[in-house]
Amino acid sequence: MSTSDKYIDAFVEAFELEDRKEAEVLEYQSIENWDSVGHMTLISELEDAFDISMETDDIVEFSSFLVGKEILKKYDIAV
Amino acid sequence: MPLLKKPIVVKKFRDFHKYVKKNNGQIGTKQRGIDVNLNNACNLRCEHCFTNSPKGDHVKPVIPADKIAEIADQAHELGIFEWDLQGGELLMRPELLFETLEAIKTERFYMYLTTNGWHMTPQIAKRLADAGVDRVSVSIDSMDPEVHDQFRGKKGSWERAIKALEYVQEAGISPYLNITVGHYNAFSEDIQMLMQYSKDKRYTTLLNVATPGGMWSQMSDIMVDEADKAHLIEMRKKHKNILRNLWDPFDKKNEGVLGCNTINRLYITPLGDVLPCPYVHIKVGNIYEQTLQEISDFGFKIKYFREYSASCLAGEDKNFVKKFMSKEGTSIFKPADAREIFNHEELDEESEGLIPLVNVS
Repeated sequence: MSTSDKYIDAFVEAFELEDRKEAEVLEYQSIENWDSVGHMTLISELEDAFDISMETDDIVEFSSFLVGKEILKKYDIAV
Repeated sequence: MPLLKKPIVVKKFRDFHKYVKKNNGQIGTKQRGIDVNLNNACNLRCEHCFTNSPKGDHVKPVIPADKIAEIADQAHELGIFEWDLQGGELLMRPELLFETLEAIKTERFYMYLTTNGWHMTPQIAKRLADAGVDRVSVSIDSMDPEVHDQFRGKKGSWERAIKALEYVQEAGISPYLNITVGHYNAFSEDIQMLMQYSKDKRYTTLLNVATPGGMWSQMSDIMVDEADKAHLIEMRKKHKNILRNLWDPFDKKNEGVLGCNTINRLYITPLGDVLPCPYVHIKVGNIYEQTLQEISDFGFKIKYFREYSASCLAGEDKNFVKKFMSKEGTSIFKPADAREIFNHEELDEESEGLIPLVNVS
C-alpha cells in the first residue's frame, strides 16, 4: 500500500468516510466527526499506520488534510 | 473555543486516550475530570435536584478563589483535563463565576459550565467564551414547555434554556443539551423528540441517568433497567451525537463502555467535601484537609470505585444503591463517611489502590 493510500485510509477510518475523495478537502470541525475526540482518533490512526509518535505541537497544528501532509514530512513521511 | 487552541489540554487528553486504548477501552484508575459545586444557590426548584438546592440547603458557602487556584494546580498535576463548574446556578452571580474562571487558569482544562440557562444572554455567552469556557451544558426535560417549566418550578424556564443553547453556539462555545433519563421516560416519545432536536441543531446530547439522591432520595424505582440501558445504546448508535460519561467516546462502533467514573471524576461540594461523583453521596476526603492526590489514592482503595463497573453505581446498580445509598438524610452536604460504611474487604487502606495495568509513556 502506498504512503498516500495509508494517509487517506487514516481519515477514512477515523471519520467513517464513505467516499475516499472526501478526505482531501477536510479541515478540523468541517464535518461532525472531526471534533476533538475525532482528532485524537485520527492522530492515533496515523501513528499506528506510520509507526510514529507525534509531538503535541504537531497535533495542535494538524488542522486539515493538506496541513497534515506537511507535518508528516517532519517525520520523514512524504505523502 | 476549539480544543486545539489549548495545547496543554490536548496533551492531557491524548494521554487519557492512550491510557484507555491500552486498557482495552476501560477507564481504570486514570483521573479524568473534576466537578465543582462552587455555590448551591439556585433560582429554579427542580423536582429531581441532587444537591437539595430547592430546600435551601447550604446556599451560602462558596469555595474561595485562592482555594480554587490551589485545587486547579493539583488537578493539573494529576493529569485532569476536564473541569465542570456547576451549582446551584452560577450565572446568578456572574462576577463570582468569572473570578473563579480566572483563578482556574482555563487554558489548562477543557472547561465547561452547567447551567439552567435562565440568566444566559449573548453578552454573557461572549464573556464565557473569552474566559476560556469550551462548553456550556443546559438541561432540558421535554419539548413541551409546560412539562419542562412544571418540572423546573418556574414558568418561562424552557424558553430561556432553549435560547441559552443558541446563544452559546453563536458565541463559539460547544452547546450540550443535557437530558435526565430514568425508567419513567427512557422510552418516551418526548425524549426521542429532544434527542432529534439536539441532533438537528448540531448540539451534543449528554445523558444523565436519574439517581435516587437529593430530592429523589429513596426513589430507586426511577432507576433505568436493562431494557432502558439497551435502548439508550440504540439511540447512541442512531444519533451518534449522544454521550454518557461512562461510555467510551473513542469507540467508533458507539457501544464501548469506559466504566463507572467514580473517583475518575471527583465532585467537590461548597463545603470542600469530596465525593466519588456528583451522585454517590459518600465522602472520600476534603480539600481543606488533604490534597486531591491523597483523596484519589484513598478513593481507589475502595474496591467498588477501583474495579471496573459497566453500570453507573448510583443510577444503574440497585445492589450498590440499596447497600450504600439508602440511608435517610444522606445528601451532598451530609454524605456517608467511606471509612464507616465500607468493611475491611471493601476498603483496604494498606493496599496500593491503583490498578498497575498501564504505563503510558
